[in-house]
Amino acid sequence: MNFIDRFLVFIVLLPKGFYKSFGVNYNQLKTILKYKNIMGDRTPKGINALRKTNQNKPTSNVSYFQTFLSIFLGLMFMFSFYIGVNYETKLTIYFSMYMFILASTLIADFTTVLIDVRDNFIILPKPINDKTFLLSRLLYIIIHIVKTALPMTLLGLIYMGYYNGLWALFTFFILILFATLFTVFLINTIYILVLKITTPNKFKSFISYFQILITILLYAGYQIIPKIISQSTLQGINFNLSNFSMFVPSYWFGAAWQFLNSFENSFKLIVCTVLALTVPVFSIWIVIQYLAPSFNKKLALIGTSTEEEKVVKSNLKPVKFTSNYLRFFSAIFTAKGAERMSFIHTWKMTSRSRDFKMKVYPSLGYLMVYLVLVFLKNDGGYGIQFPEADSFFYIFVVYFCNFILITALGYLSFSDKFKAAWIYYVSPIDKPGKLQLGAVKSLLTKFYLPLAALILILVFMFLKLSYLPNYILGISNQILIVLSIAYISFKDLPFSASAGNKVKGSSFVRGIFTLLIPLSFGGIHYLIRDFLPVVILLIILSFIAIWMVLDSIKNRSWEQIKTQSDF
Amino acid sequence: MEPILSLVNVFKSYGEKQVLKGINLNIYPGQVIGYIGPNGAGKSTTVKIICGLISDFEGEVLVNGLDIKKDALLVKSKIGYVPELAELYDVLTPIEFLSFMAELYMLNEQVANERMTKMLIAFGLEAVMNQRMETFSKGMRQKVLIISGLLHNPDILILDEPLSGLDANSVITVKDLISKLAKEGKTIFYSSHMMDVVEKVSDRIILINNGTVIADGSFEELKQQQGDKSLEQIFSYLTQGSNNNNAASQLLEAFNN
Repeated sequence: MNFIDRFLVFIVLLPKGFYKSFGVNYNQLKTILKYKNIMGDRTPKGINALRKTNQNKPTSNVSYFQTFLSIFLGLMFMFSFYIGVNYETKLTIYFSMYMFILASTLIADFTTVLIDVRDNFIILPKPINDKTFLLSRLLYIIIHIVKTALPMTLLGLIYMGYYNGLWALFTFFILILFATLFTVFLINTIYILVLKITTPNKFKSFISYFQILITILLYAGYQIIPKIISQSTLQGINFNLSNFSMFVPSYWFGAAWQFLNSFENSFKLIVCTVLALTVPVFSIWIVIQYLAPSFNKKLALIGTSTEEEKVVKSNLKPVKFTSNYLRFFSAIFTAKGAERMSFIHTWKMTSRSRDFKMKVYPSLGYLMVYLVLVFLKNDGGYGIQFPEADSFFYIFVVYFCNFILITALGYLSFSDKFKAAWIYYVSPIDKPGKLQLGAVKSLLTKFYLPLAALILILVFMFLKLSYLPNYILGISNQILIVLSIAYISFKDLPFSASAGNKVKGSSFVRGIFTLLIPLSFGGIHYLIRDFLPVVILLIILSFIAIWMVLDSIKNRSWEQIKTQSDF
Repeated sequence: MEPILSLVNVFKSYGEKQVLKGINLNIYPGQVIGYIGPNGAGKSTTVKIICGLISDFEGEVLVNGLDIKKDALLVKSKIGYVPELAELYDVLTPIEFLSFMAELYMLNEQVANERMTKMLIAFGLEAVMNQRMETFSKGMRQKVLIISGLLHNPDILILDEPLSGLDANSVITVKDLISKLAKEGKTIFYSSHMMDVVEKVSDRIILINNGTVIADGSFEELKQQQGDKSLEQIFSYLTQGSNNNNAASQLLEAFNN
């Protein structure tokens, strides 16, 4: 245990006599907390758990890192002190950010903290009573929350104390405590709602999507909000003017602080103060009384065989090999045999592998954010505009869209279950290039075809038909670029390499490469865009080049494949 | 002799599905019980009930005359459990994990340290005692789990597929260990799919299917009842009836197209 954990464990264990009077075995409690914290310190959490690529290096000192990260997030909250005319407004924004970030962090972490199936097999068969076990879980969660929440609010507390004095600091601290309680209630409610409608295993993937969403939203927020709202507007915001703000929980806390520091005789402020101080207590009571018991029952079900049995039953449906649309696309784009099999396999893996999705889908989200940014007016006003007949804009968009595809391509070789790639080596495949070609085509169809179609629709809607050749050249160049990058960098079989083997430097080089190639193609395209004969000539050249690259990928032999030795 | 473990009319359902339909068993000290049955027969559920993992069942489970529902803690301290699937906290080192287990059993620290070191050495794990178990093979994890089940010197040892992943030498060690523990009066409850091992180590075989006991006796007794067959054949006959050869024929018939 590091000193942070040791200190917190020491603190929560202080009411020794109190615990004992409840029938808790103090020594067992202490042991569980000690080892749970040691394990916590060695388990990567949140986004890092999913991004962790280097499996060979044991993780340690997660607590320090976590604290640092929380302080950094807390720094972002400080932005709120810059907004609004009064503290009521500033703190409403502060609490909104705090509650949102805390909820998303805790939701992600609770899957590792709470849903540790192994507890059922390891701790429960030991002579330990329920009270000790439940208390250990509860205290561990409290330690975890404190470890996350305290550093997050540290800067805010310092700011408050420095500018507004001790009473302001004290009331702010108390309100943070209540806001934390309320957030825990919200998380619990979300958990229970989700567990009501789905199984714990599916819930884990739900969490992953939730994290992707949070990442993208945060990114979008920081990119877009300063663009659409000007500085003076930001500083002029006043939540006190609207009565709707009373329905926003974070406003209660902002208003409560305002009231406790001014004792202004305002009905609205008083109501909000009462809400801020009673609702969290009441909601925690609901959690303890009603939500937690059913939650624990659900948790105990994890790891029992009931879940698997359900699966077996549903498999009795008629045999279904591949969906119709997938069969349709694979028939159009691929040759029969290894290539088609690889196309379908890649399609399914990219939809189902959590690992792949966690890495690729965020960049899809960032792409969307960029596109929205491009469409937004830059003059600080609201609204969306389509730059009419601005061919540069469309060429830019067309060339920009392969960003996601190249990201996806970078992860195509990797999988958690890389050992399953033995199937490629034992089956009679003459040229492994066919497998690679099928996989690359699959990515193109899945991630690029919809975008290309969308842009085509936009071209018809907003541009003259005379831009069609330019559009075709753009799309064709995109395919050429992606295929060339695939030819150069995709040397493994699809999903056949362990993520731990990923060479670090290459991703940086690839990043530069990825930007430079589309940019130079796009630049040249932009220069010649008005010379129709040249455009048509380039289309033909581009088509020929695509055909050649396709052919050379397809004919790649076993000798050219990076062989994996770690089966 | 008083039974050390008895199950009286044990029923258990998950929702609508009844997994155990009235299990009645009396097990005596020093017996090695081979607990066998097809997938989904209720083996794991029985094991989890005896270990105290599942408490909402109907019927009675008595260990040394103590009701597991009433004296769960006393009962649990007399039982050692080795789960299947090598479930352990692999970010800990073997020493850390075993110390954790020992403290949960409230063992004296010095006694526990001596025991676990000796046992780790006996299993040939002395070189990796202080390494995190993340990189351990399935067999190495299984050895640590077996030690964690034995550490507090339990009267009843419950083993759920204990040999999976172990190499041939370790299999011999564990088999030897089982018979030596039985000679000392310990009771072993051995749940497994590996018929040849069950046939050799157990002196009483209990076969369950669809939540009921369908055969109970020594291997010799079972052979007398079912004709001179191997345990595998008896198992197959009792759980599938005469259909046992059909699956293979059906597999071959699939080529006729």
